[in-house]
Amino acid sequence: MGVEEVFPHVVFRPFGIPIQDTVVQTWIIMAVLIPLAYVAGRNFQIRPSRWQHLVELGSEFISKLIKLQVGRHIDGLFELLATLMLYIAVANLLGIIPGLRAPTRSLNTTIALSIVSFLAVQYFGIRERGLWRYSRSLAEPLGCILPLNILGQISRTVAMTLRLFGNVIAAEIMGQVMFKLMPLLAPLPFTLLSLITGVLQALVFTSLTVVFIADAVGRMERKETEEKG
Amino acid sequence: MSQLDPQALFMVVTTIVVGVVIVGGCIATTLMEGRAVVAAFENMARQPSVADRISGLIFVTLAIIESAAIYALLICLILLFANPFASLFR
Repeated sequence: MGVEEVFPHVVFRPFGIPIQDTVVQTWIIMAVLIPLAYVAGRNFQIRPSRWQHLVELGSEFISKLIKLQVGRHIDGLFELLATLMLYIAVANLLGIIPGLRAPTRSLNTTIALSIVSFLAVQYFGIRERGLWRYSRSLAEPLGCILPLNILGQISRTVAMTLRLFGNVIAAEIMGQVMFKLMPLLAPLPFTLLSLITGVLQALVFTSLTVVFIADAVGRMERKETEEKG
Repeated sequence: MSQLDPQALFMVVTTIVVGVVIVGGCIATTLMEGRAVVAAFENMARQPSVADRISGLIFVTLAIIESAAIYALLICLILLFANPFASLFR
């Protein structure tokens, strides 16, 4: 059926290190997104241009997400979430360009993304509450619940990995199978569906990350700021 | 009844199991997603003031519920393309 074409394969091996095509696609995304982000951040005016409206719309969305979940400003959180959201959305949508495929269809890419999210949760938790208070919050309300909390942290990271991977590879395989069965028009509805799920999965990944970070930096502080503001 | 060779039997059993798993996983997930959507819509109709927040949350919630079906799909993909027992029947 040719379904095997969907799975990643090694393109070339410099110095004996195998490089898969997902890595090359990630490089393409980086080559597009980094100059674009640099250009987008310049020339902000009080009377915004059309392009600036688009940038403000996106950043306002993520600020709202942070305000709803965390309730206060945290250094670096906005940048992390915006990067995750932009990268995953573009990566999921890359499959609609002929000749390219979504790099998130490889389990390695999604594992890397969710490890970033996992480490960010620990980093923000320790930075905002201190090492001792953060570790103690894992053992609340009872000491015997500590292994369960650690298990929960690991399993939700694995769940995030598999969710993104499964959604993307399901869309890719459906598109490929439909293309082999009937190349004209039949893959079109599945491509449209993959547009929706691609953006939605980026949103889900980002919202889950911000929920976990809000959990790690603490809910007590959040209530205090709500009463103040 | 003619004797199937072991590899063909393995293929048949795998295909049947994959079909059952994907149907069961999808039915259970879809029923529960339907319940979530019904509850969301009922509460949106009852309290239109919070309809915006509910409609934002329901998308994320549905995507998370749907991951149960995705896990079933992943198991099916492993059975079909990366079955650890396939080498025993070769």
